[in-house]
Amino acid sequence: MDATYLDIARGLSAEIVLVLAALFALALDLGWLRREGGRERTRAVGVLTIVGLILAAIPVCQMLGNGSQRLLGGTLVVDDLTLLFKLLLIILTALTALISLEYDVGRHVGEYFATMLFGAVGMMLLVATEELITIFVALELTSLCLYILTAFHKSWLRSQEAALKYFMFGAISSAFLLFGLSLVFGVTGTTNIRELMTGSLTPLLGVGLLMILIGFGFKVAVVPFHLWAPDAYEGAPTPVAAYIATGSKVASFFVLTKVLLLGFAGGAGSALWGKFASGWAMLLAVVAVLSMVLGNCAAIVQRNVKRLLAYSSIAHAGYIFIGLIAAGLTGATSVMFYIIVYALTNLGAFGVVAALSARAGGEELTHFNGMAKRAPLLSLLMLIFVLSLAGVPPLGGFFGKFYLFAAAVGQDARHFGLLWLVVVGILMSAVSLYYYLIVLKHMYVEAAADDSRIETPTYLNAALGLVALAVILLGVFPQPTLTLLNSLLSRVL
Amino acid sequence: MEHAEHLNHLASQQWLIPFFPLVAAAIQSLLKKPARKLSATLTIGAMGISCAFALRAFFATLGGGHHEEVARGIANFTWFKFGTTSLDLGFVLDPLTAGMAAMVTFVGFWIFVNATGYMHDDENFTRFFCFLSLFAASMLGLVVSNNLLLLFMCWELVGLCSYLLIGFWYFKPSAAAAMKKAFITTRVGDVGFFIGILMLYQHTGTLNLYTAEGTGALQQAGGLATLTGWWGLSVAGTIALMLFIGAMGKSAQFPLHVWLPDAMEGPTPVSALIHAATMVAAGVFMVGRMFPVFTAGAGDWVMDFVMWVGCITAVFSATIAVAQFDIKRVLAYSTCSQLGFMVMALGAGGFVAGQFHLLTHAFFKALLFLGSGCVIIGTHHEQDMRKMGGLKKYMPITFWCYFTGYLALSGFPLTAGFFSKDEVLLETFHHNKAAWGLATFAAFLTAFYMTRQMYMVFAGKWRGGEESHHGHGHAHDDHGHGHGGHEPNEVPWNMWLPIAVLSIFALFMGWLGTPWFHDNLFHHYLAPEEHSPEHSNLVLWLSIGVGLFGIFLGWLIYGRKTMEHATDADPLAVKLGGLFTALNRKWYIDELYEATIIRLTMALGVFFRAVDKAVVDGILHAIAWVAWGISQVVRLVGDDLIINGSFDAGCDGVRGSGRILAKLQNGRVQNYLRVMAVGVVLLLVVYFVK
Repeated sequence: MDATYLDIARGLSAEIVLVLAALFALALDLGWLRREGGRERTRAVGVLTIVGLILAAIPVCQMLGNGSQRLLGGTLVVDDLTLLFKLLLIILTALTALISLEYDVGRHVGEYFATMLFGAVGMMLLVATEELITIFVALELTSLCLYILTAFHKSWLRSQEAALKYFMFGAISSAFLLFGLSLVFGVTGTTNIRELMTGSLTPLLGVGLLMILIGFGFKVAVVPFHLWAPDAYEGAPTPVAAYIATGSKVASFFVLTKVLLLGFAGGAGSALWGKFASGWAMLLAVVAVLSMVLGNCAAIVQRNVKRLLAYSSIAHAGYIFIGLIAAGLTGATSVMFYIIVYALTNLGAFGVVAALSARAGGEELTHFNGMAKRAPLLSLLMLIFVLSLAGVPPLGGFFGKFYLFAAAVGQDARHFGLLWLVVVGILMSAVSLYYYLIVLKHMYVEAAADDSRIETPTYLNAALGLVALAVILLGVFPQPTLTLLNSLLSRVL
Repeated sequence: MEHAEHLNHLASQQWLIPFFPLVAAAIQSLLKKPARKLSATLTIGAMGISCAFALRAFFATLGGGHHEEVARGIANFTWFKFGTTSLDLGFVLDPLTAGMAAMVTFVGFWIFVNATGYMHDDENFTRFFCFLSLFAASMLGLVVSNNLLLLFMCWELVGLCSYLLIGFWYFKPSAAAAMKKAFITTRVGDVGFFIGILMLYQHTGTLNLYTAEGTGALQQAGGLATLTGWWGLSVAGTIALMLFIGAMGKSAQFPLHVWLPDAMEGPTPVSALIHAATMVAAGVFMVGRMFPVFTAGAGDWVMDFVMWVGCITAVFSATIAVAQFDIKRVLAYSTCSQLGFMVMALGAGGFVAGQFHLLTHAFFKALLFLGSGCVIIGTHHEQDMRKMGGLKKYMPITFWCYFTGYLALSGFPLTAGFFSKDEVLLETFHHNKAAWGLATFAAFLTAFYMTRQMYMVFAGKWRGGEESHHGHGHAHDDHGHGHGGHEPNEVPWNMWLPIAVLSIFALFMGWLGTPWFHDNLFHHYLAPEEHSPEHSNLVLWLSIGVGLFGIFLGWLIYGRKTMEHATDADPLAVKLGGLFTALNRKWYIDELYEATIIRLTMALGVFFRAVDKAVVDGILHAIAWVAWGISQVVRLVGDDLIINGSFDAGCDGVRGSGRILAKLQNGRVQNYLRVMAVGVVLLLVVYFVK
């Protein structure tokens, strides 16, 4: 069936709304609000951004349940799974905008929010496509927006430096990715990921696959392509760090899952113990182990909360790779579930840091001393988020990890072929508990130098509280989400 | 089948019953400032709403009585699923659940009302009510659960709340010790319970008690009787034994009863709610819930074991209660003893009798405990019965309410306790004459020690003002001191109203279970498929006789000539001599444990500490050193050399993008890219070598 322009416009209606909102935000800030103070402008443009996101959510919700559509040979896919993740991305972006409201983003408020919305468009396109060129373009759009956002502490050198490093690193990774894509196209003659693997994995195709993995490895920050992450997280404004750690990762993992499980399903090789065979599974296994070990161990010595969260997110990317290696429907379900839990938890944790750090004086661990007395509610929420990251039951992080590991164990249940990965994962989770608890120790045990209470706006408390509630519910009652993801994925895979 | 559908519908709403107290607890824990009124309103209000739901469910189950089978509503749902294995949770609505939930919410509601008065002067009022709400939620969760996993979780939560509430005045060393003792002792039983759950899961493959398809663990229980388990028991018998060990801990059965009397260190409403009416009954309830497993193993010695444990506990605790001077300790041992009655009835096959006694006992024992709380408040924190006396004059309302509770517990004819105890004795009589004899003796002791308590507390003259109070060890808070010499006074309405309401039930509730209406209404309600036990005049008249004889003997020793001074010797102590001391020291059980089990545990502790130091710590340290080493290497190579080195140099002195660019050109990002290049090569190697 040929797609009409109307179909395409309908499929992209959410993205169109976001672009309009971004342009409107720019106009509002450069026009009417020119003479207002920074605080008022942030509020006004931020609220406009959130309204735009809510408006964008409406067509997404309307399209839910209308069956699947593949327009332009898979360039634009509209089905419930992509719509669900678009919705998740909209929520994550809205929360990022929400925690930006009280955050000092400097003079260029309009640009800040507009860039954020453009970034959101990039991510939403990324999840909505099954075509390699579009994947690359969407990825670049997202990345460029994030480079700009990282540099938004314009008067702070570290922010500039981080952005520059992020950009240079990203540019080289993009080169790898593009090189890989062109190799793949050269070998297969198609850019549609459903048609990539018709035969076996030839060496040239293998090199292309490897290059693609490197490109994505950069996006999701796994060892050894992670070096930009701690710098970027630390230097970027905290809401931006939250955005990089959540929105961009959700989109990247989603599309990576599709590329590997749909495009290169036959090229997995084997990462089963004693039966190693060339393919992406083995590559992912190496990267996963490196990420889990280095991410968790390096996090131990960090003194800055954002750096610590950066290393922790590297480790989490390692866990998620275990689910990818497990592959199949259970593996994909566990990966999707984990991404959702992980994104919500991390956004919550960054939100708390953003809300508290300005008043606490900084983002070092010592700045959070005695926070339980100064801001009891946010400290409680942080407790929930951090314990969820650590994988403590009954929070979402525990079940996410449980499913990842269970999927890996179940993949070769007779010989427990992936058990070695799971063992590494569990051991490293134990290590991670140490630095997560250090965060809590500073908040709950250490005495504060300054005992004054930190008042945070109620809307922020409520929003973060809802995120915490979601994290708890995903842990206590995971089945509805799992069933949903399972049924949606079974239609795609 | 309309009725069955209605029940299933209600069962799917059973979660609402524990939900409201849970929300109340959550809100209270998040309150920024302690708000007494709000906290009490929330707790009582939530319990009230739960009570309404519980009563609705209760009345719905009444309609099922005319069938030959138990009407049961089930609502299961999948908690989470992995592959083909799914873990279900669920709620059940049957007469057992409905009756228990109605009792817990109703009695709990009035205890909460009373607690607003008892805890009035406590500065941690909000924390107290938060714990109470949490306790109510977990207890109700335990009751409505259709799943052993959920039941076990709530079971542990109930234990936790009990721990928190016993140690509510944690600054008192005795309370801190008591909370630990309660937690650890019940934990011994929980190990057994957990083993039982695991075995049941192993053999039936499900933790659901009932399912609509008949695949629930209890519905499969019959098949377990033919498999061989441990110690010459069938599998059903082994599981039943393990479950019963759990119940022994929770329901304070000999020899795991030691924690219950010490638990009286908690505030009195806690004693009433947890250590008399509800939590301690959880063990009995659980045995009732799992009764199909017990009856499946009936050919084994498990049921006799259950009966004899109950019987021994009943007699043993009753003898100790005779020689206690603390008003709450008498009631505590009496609770142990009554729980023994219930367990004995269950062991004798009297499922209905055990549950009936559980329900009536909950009402009158809550009444007695709350009454003792009123006495304690009225006498300005006095708990020693020797220093009371004559309270009938000062606290008439409390006296009359307490008096009804006393009649019920003593088994005075036509009160609630009379009917239920009579049924327990009847069941035991048909099963085993020796146990019946011992139990009848315990019933006699019950009447006797309660009469003793009544005379010491309420009759004679007020002995409280005689001596200085610094000697006694039961002053609760600062409020108690300095008031010793004052005359006692009646408690406010929010304390006496609950006991007044409960006393109505203590008097009349037993009529539900008399053999004279429709051949025992309660029996028909709970177990329509079986017939109530055959009536026996011997049992009836003997139990009336021993009750009255106990009261008479109590009057003879304590009533004819009441105590004059608080320092007077107990008249019974004069007669019994050394035996009385042994009873007063609780048969030296605590001392025995101290000399044997605790010594042994200490020795083992020392041993394992050494092992821990040498082996476990060694391994842990090795892991820690490896992790630390890696992190240091990462820090040196990654952070310090590459990042911090540049940053510190860059940020300290220089403020110019040119210099930063220069520094970047100095090879920092190249370093990053070098690492990346190494990574690419590494992956290529991995890809092509394997």
